Amino acid sequence: MKHASYMGQRVLRLEDAKLLTGRALFIDDVELPGMLEVAFLRSDDAHGILRRIDVTAARSRPGVVAVYTAADLGDYWRPGPLLVPPPPVPGLIFNAATQVPLVRDKIRHCGEALAMVVAESRYLAEDALEHVVVEVDPLPAVAGLEAALLPGAPLVHDQFGSNLAAQVRQQKGDYAAVRGSAARVIARRFHYDRGASAAIENRGVVAAWDGRAGELTVWDTTQAPIPIRNGLAAMLGLGESQVRVIAPFIGGGFGPKIMMFYPEEVLVPWAARQLGRPVKWIEDRRENFYATTQERSQIHDAELAVAADGRILGVKDVFLHDTGAYDPYGLTVPINSQCTLLGPYLVPHYDSEFKAVFTNRPIVTPVRGAGRQHGVFVMERLLDLAARELGIDRVEIRRRNYIPADAFPYDHEILFQDFRPLVYDSGNYPAALEKAVELIGYADFVEQEQPRLRAEGRHVGIGVVSYIEGTGIGPYEGARVTVEPSGLVRVATGVGTQGQGHFTTFAQLVAEQLGVDVSQVQVSTGDTRDFNWGTGTFASRGAVVAGSACHAAALKVRAKILALAAGLLGCAKAEVELFDGRASVRGAPDRGLTLGELARKANPLRGAVTPGTEPGLEATAYFGPDRGNAASGVHAIRVEVDPETAEVKISRYVVVHDCGRVINPMVVEAQVQGGVAHGIGNAFYEQLSFDDNGQLMNASFMDYLLPTALDVPTVELAHIETPSPLNPLGVKGVGEAGAIPTGAAFAQAVEDALHGTGVEITEIPLSPSRLHALIAQARGGTS
Amino acid sequence: MIVEGVHLFPGPREVVWNLLLDPDVLAKTMPGSAKITRNGPDRYEGTMAMGIGPISAATFDVSIVITDQLVPERYTMQIDGRGGFGFTRGLATISLADEGVSTRMHYQADLQVGGKIAAVGQRLLDSVSKLLLRQGLEAMTRELERRLAGGAA
Amino acid sequence: MNGQHPIEVTVNGTRHAREVAARLLLSDFLRHDLGLTGTHVGCEHGVCGACTVLFDGEPARSCLMFAVQADGHAVDTVEGLASGETLHPVQRAFYETHALQCGFCTPGILMTLIPFLRDHPTPTENEIREALSGHLCRCTGYANIVAAVQRVVKYEGAR
Repeated sequence: MKHASYMGQRVLRLEDAKLLTGRALFIDDVELPGMLEVAFLRSDDAHGILRRIDVTAARSRPGVVAVYTAADLGDYWRPGPLLVPPPPVPGLIFNAATQVPLVRDKIRHCGEALAMVVAESRYLAEDALEHVVVEVDPLPAVAGLEAALLPGAPLVHDQFGSNLAAQVRQQKGDYAAVRGSAARVIARRFHYDRGASAAIENRGVVAAWDGRAGELTVWDTTQAPIPIRNGLAAMLGLGESQVRVIAPFIGGGFGPKIMMFYPEEVLVPWAARQLGRPVKWIEDRRENFYATTQERSQIHDAELAVAADGRILGVKDVFLHDTGAYDPYGLTVPINSQCTLLGPYLVPHYDSEFKAVFTNRPIVTPVRGAGRQHGVFVMERLLDLAARELGIDRVEIRRRNYIPADAFPYDHEILFQDFRPLVYDSGNYPAALEKAVELIGYADFVEQEQPRLRAEGRHVGIGVVSYIEGTGIGPYEGARVTVEPSGLVRVATGVGTQGQGHFTTFAQLVAEQLGVDVSQVQVSTGDTRDFNWGTGTFASRGAVVAGSACHAAALKVRAKILALAAGLLGCAKAEVELFDGRASVRGAPDRGLTLGELARKANPLRGAVTPGTEPGLEATAYFGPDRGNAASGVHAIRVEVDPETAEVKISRYVVVHDCGRVINPMVVEAQVQGGVAHGIGNAFYEQLSFDDNGQLMNASFMDYLLPTALDVPTVELAHIETPSPLNPLGVKGVGEAGAIPTGAAFAQAVEDALHGTGVEITEIPLSPSRLHALIAQARGGTS
Repeated sequence: MIVEGVHLFPGPREVVWNLLLDPDVLAKTMPGSAKITRNGPDRYEGTMAMGIGPISAATFDVSIVITDQLVPERYTMQIDGRGGFGFTRGLATISLADEGVSTRMHYQADLQVGGKIAAVGQRLLDSVSKLLLRQGLEAMTRELERRLAGGAA
Repeated sequence: MNGQHPIEVTVNGTRHAREVAARLLLSDFLRHDLGLTGTHVGCEHGVCGACTVLFDGEPARSCLMFAVQADGHAVDTVEGLASGETLHPVQRAFYETHALQCGFCTPGILMTLIPFLRDHPTPTENEIREALSGHLCRCTGYANIVAAVQRVVKYEGAR
């Protein structure tokens, strides 16, 4: 008898009861005796010299325990570390400038922290903020990406002499040589604008220093508790084992919660040690719009050289990337844009160059998609425009350019964000396209329904777009699996959890190997006391890397169980069966022991053990992939546009995606649905509006619009599985997939719906008012 | 943010000019409570506190520097206001012309707005600034009428 | 904080007498004074809906109310839904349809759905989406939440 396999099972989530009943611990739920609360004074100016800051009055306000400025930090004040060094691309220019804990001399973006008030309550701390005297000499702000590079532009970092943060060119083949022989060269400028990750839970840090034990405990809404622990220990002059970082339940990560070391992460633990009392800081929503990182602003001047039959000869792309006031995260986002542009296509010649630019805006680090959407948008739009000019069907032009299913591994010859060559491990793009086209009813729509509805005066359109998502990159993760004497199985791993279902999916992987019911497996994530080697959740790698580590550790424990059971039951290892928490002899099920009994036997209090063996039924394993793998997919969307109001209604949304083998389809489908919602937000509703002075004009959900249940359709989903050869499970990541091609799908479909009006969509987001203006513009031009 | 418009004062230009540059009159006529002092021939500084509807008074520091004066025709103000709400900075030009026995004032200001009010109050900026301006100009007009009727300054 | 105003609030059927400052938000009162941390705060502007509780049986944004306004009233929070270890039917439906991921927005949505289902025992999909439109979720894309409501209606009938 065997369990049905847990791989591919829609196991309901083990963590849900806690979350549903309000018993899950989120950061602001942490309450400690004597706890103080923090409020930060943040700059109203986007650019300026901090002449003077006087906290004397603030210090004497009721309930205030301390007020700190940069001067008070002494030697502790230093810029944060460069988290991601630039990749080894020849000729690369990179100017590193990282964020500071509190502004000492120059303010570089709205919301930069100027002072930290610690008081008996947040209310009293905020009261005291009004009594901090600040003198700022405002400087003109860097007004935009192109303006930033003009001679005479205000400088964000004087030491560089310009606002150039980086310049990177990656090439393959010889685009210039092949351009001349193209039947068509499609050239356009594309704009993609900033959006916030807007997790519903803001950030927070709580720190408590136990002077007698010499232990610092920090709760942090971080996606990377282990690096935070290691960094804080180093900064505070403590041993790594003296610091415990706990990432509790986190209300959404999406990327910015892996940015390290936010000023607050560095200051709150320091203050806790200074004051000898626990200190808590919880970000409020308005702060989140400045103090938590954002992403997305780029301008691309791109061109596609195609043959008469639509085959891609080459692509050239020159783009500007907004990195904000500092660049601690290196070039991850623009490199992703550069690489993901190639998509699932054969692109023999490629010339991509970007300049990352400093601006007086909040810092840019990856947000779900992490720069991939820009690449996809550019390529998909160029293909759409080429298809139109050549008179080829949009789906057909993609078919003609796909990397064929037998061409793997496929080497694109440029460097990816993990510094390894961009090699796709496996995929079947034509199959995904056919499935999507079939599900959305493309042929029927284009040939019958659309002409019929158009004759009725309705503006309906369809979009089909294709993308690659590089996932599952290294360096590595680890896990420890332990069978307890009670029979319960504990799994500990270093990655945190922000809703992806790790407590369930990792349990499935372990239960699979140990023959226990999944409910018997308790997973602990994000607590450095339980596991302290690893990096974190980012870049859609949790299931691939941490999952593979859990799997590997479970295999080791399984081997121990089999060996021990065989010895105790007097049979060969191959005859031992694991089922329902018990090890028994095949064919004689009453000859067996529970895993709990085996665990007890494996840890005797008396007698001798065989030399060289380990006690208990426990093992730790690590997994570090050689390179990232390539998940992929096709999105298809049907829309109707009202040209008078510019309202866009989505009538259907289809996703065919390939994330290799699927551990829990329920979790995967929900990740895609959630990603699509985020993509719809970015495509149509969300835009961070900065004025020329670096002021954010919509720092609240009243004006920064997230899609609601009325705006997001239920996605129709189909899977393709091309297992990855790069990990033992064959899985690929899926966390960002839904959000990546949505803008491109929207643009194609809306343009199709407005066919004949001359509207061309080369920008994201497309708010109703912006679309309205484009329609009016096109009308004005053609009438 | 651009604020501009025209206002007719029922009085002669010289009187209007003097009123506009009198710190006590400014303090009295600006909406909310204010304390403005003249710190030099062309410099005014002070604090203001004002509330809007149910929102209690926010205090802010304001400084105004007068330049390019052509008495009694026009002048330029460099405005700098900063407080808990955020800040506002910019240039305003005021020009006065005779219109019969009245004075036509033309004002134009180009103001940068930042901080909290810019971040969450965009939809209020226009209407509130118009309201405050109207209140101020009406109070100024009443003060003018008082002066002309022989009232004490 | 120094309390200045004595209030008596019935929360999940239990009467609590406390002294609170006039400006203490109801969300902070519930979470920190009473330790009922199931109600979450996402924006403090009344937009995201995470802080939704029932105020005399009707949904209300606790981040937009003061604790003193609750004096003499009844407030229900997510902690009052389950009976011991038995989930409320709406909670169970959320579990069965995977209607939550990070779970931060979930308690607020549950509280909105209780009176909604009371007043609309057989809602259409559009009515469900409209009822949910006052809640922002960044994780789920709403599809499974709609499915959860439909599941409650199908299997539990009116509640």
